[in-house]
Amino acid sequence: MLNELFSPDMMASAIRLTIPILLAALGAIYSERSGVVNIGLEGMMVVGAFWAAWGSFNYGPVVGILFGITAGMVLASIHALVTVTFKVNQIVSGVALNVLAAGISRFSSLSIFGMATTSPHVSGLPKMTIKPLAEISWLKPLVTEFSILIPISFILVGVTVWVLKYTTFGLRLRAAGENPEAADTLGINVFKMRYAGIIISGAFAGLAGAYLSIEHTGMYVEGMTQGKGYIALAAMIFGNWSAIGAMFAALLFGFAEAISLRRITTLVPYQFIKIIPYLLTIIVVSGFVKKSDPPAKVGTNYERGEG
Amino acid sequence: MNYKYKDWLMQIAFTFGAILFAMFIGSLVIMFIGKNPITVYQSMLQFTFGRSDSIGAILFKSTPLIFAGLAVALSFRVGLFNIGAEGQYFIGALAASIVGFSLQGLPWFIHLPLVILAGMAGGMLWALIPALLKVKRGAHEVITTIMMNYIAYSVVHYFVADLFLDKAQNLPKGYGSPMVRMPKILESARMPTMHDFVGIFGVEMPRYIYLNWFFVIGILLAIAVYILIWKTPFGMEIRAVGQNPHASETVGIQSKKVYLKTFLISGAIAGLIGLSDLLGYIGYMDTDFPRGYGFTGIAVALLANNNALGVVLAALLFGFLRRGAEGLQAIEQIPMDVVVILEGVIILSIVVASQLMRRYFKTQEKKREKESQKTSASDGDKEGLENVE
Repeated sequence: MLNELFSPDMMASAIRLTIPILLAALGAIYSERSGVVNIGLEGMMVVGAFWAAWGSFNYGPVVGILFGITAGMVLASIHALVTVTFKVNQIVSGVALNVLAAGISRFSSLSIFGMATTSPHVSGLPKMTIKPLAEISWLKPLVTEFSILIPISFILVGVTVWVLKYTTFGLRLRAAGENPEAADTLGINVFKMRYAGIIISGAFAGLAGAYLSIEHTGMYVEGMTQGKGYIALAAMIFGNWSAIGAMFAALLFGFAEAISLRRITTLVPYQFIKIIPYLLTIIVVSGFVKKSDPPAKVGTNYERGEG
Repeated sequence: MNYKYKDWLMQIAFTFGAILFAMFIGSLVIMFIGKNPITVYQSMLQFTFGRSDSIGAILFKSTPLIFAGLAVALSFRVGLFNIGAEGQYFIGALAASIVGFSLQGLPWFIHLPLVILAGMAGGMLWALIPALLKVKRGAHEVITTIMMNYIAYSVVHYFVADLFLDKAQNLPKGYGSPMVRMPKILESARMPTMHDFVGIFGVEMPRYIYLNWFFVIGILLAIAVYILIWKTPFGMEIRAVGQNPHASETVGIQSKKVYLKTFLISGAIAGLIGLSDLLGYIGYMDTDFPRGYGFTGIAVALLANNNALGVVLAALLFGFLRRGAEGLQAIEQIPMDVVVILEGVIILSIVVASQLMRRYFKTQEKKREKESQKTSASDGDKEGLENVE
């Protein structure tokens, strides 16, 4: 059984399943570091998945991915407008966006494809194979026919580390989440930073959705995100709001999901194996694994103190 | 006194403004698929009010939404987000149907209350875990309750498809495969429809309308929740903790206890959401059991400003929208999911409207107390809890 659990096939499957969680978790970092909770990630993934499928169906996979990213950003802009400008509770706005995204996707799917729950098959980007490594049998599943978005996602981890740590933009973004009052007195536009953080997170979530529909599945299926947006938030928390940490957490969740998709043993009913990622999420956010250290002002809307 | 009357009017005006805005967005969506919004809204109204069976249908559709709205509104009152009403009603319906088909030979006046209690217990059980994790570990209830929703779907699937699959379905040969469902709930546990009752008043409701006594129970429960919140000592604690948990602690209210109790009551109410469909209409638990009431409950609660009596009105509005959407699908071939888009827009516009309203009141107050030079410095921090009030 252990052989099966750690087989190359399983590892390859785990990495494929890590990607959407990883991308959404990276997005969540930008948003939360700027001080805004983005529960709407799930909905942004849903619209990303749908519009990417639509784009790919009509204009090919590259345009599809751009459509997915744009859709995520559009939904994120609403979140920014509602929370940053109108100062509405961030959780309420996020939940509303998830409801909205579900409605939009189902409605659009029916109106455009004539089917409520799936799109036709759409093409993905060309798959990659690393020829010399594919000769080695235990590496073969990992290095053959994989999506180009997989290495890109891991590169984006490095990019995120660099942006947050070493650029002026990253410094200002973090200041907006840690101490908005001080940032404001230093001349940083807290509102602008939070808009940026949220919209970047929408782009990441849209890309995550695009990966799911056109790279991973080859079509849009209703409910295909399966709560990955929320799991990504848990991965970000588990990774202590850092990109590297989120990457390892996402790998853990990807692995849990790979297990849940396989019926390894008949001893436990598969419905209970399916819940492993969700149980893991609950354990992580309950802090049973370690104490977390969120940005100081995350979740609170910033208002300029007027006399 | 005079101010209060004005405030009420403003509140109603803002609520209607938000609904109008949602209708405007709805018009854009309708135009997007190449239809004329005015004729679409017209045929929606015609379908809904031109037919005699519509009132019954609206009341039936709003019944689960009353329970859902009450469950969510109660949790909002104490400053928590019960996004898990969805999973809680699935487990509630599961528990109710197990008690409903397994206990044989009971008279209805014992069996039916038992089944309803089982539903409440199921919902409460599913709320217990996030509630405990919240007060003991500080785990954010939004993520835990959403995860509990997914787990609930899986658990229900296991019970329906594996453990209690009804193998006694004898279909005539060649007539399809048996359904993936649990055994039928016994007659003694079914909720009677209101056909006979409305018959007394000379109203004839068609057989295919399943309006049942859960509607009346929902209204009574709304009154009970209203009294709980506004007329009991515990209700005062709920409101105090919802306003400011730290200040409540200093006057001797144990906020954790209040969180726990309120969340469990919210879960118990959520356990009732699915029962109107289960006991009044479908009669068995299956894998296609209606989903999504828990999320609509959030829209209902926010539209009602978390007022228990307002929940009934908001639920009726959503019942009306759903009925109208059915008509749109039939007459105009517009997918009825347009109503889900409307729900999302209504939530957003109502919270934005109430935020604008708060600002309006704040400036009014400032005008009134100009000379006293009162500053409100600590507002930014308590944003989160104020907003869901």
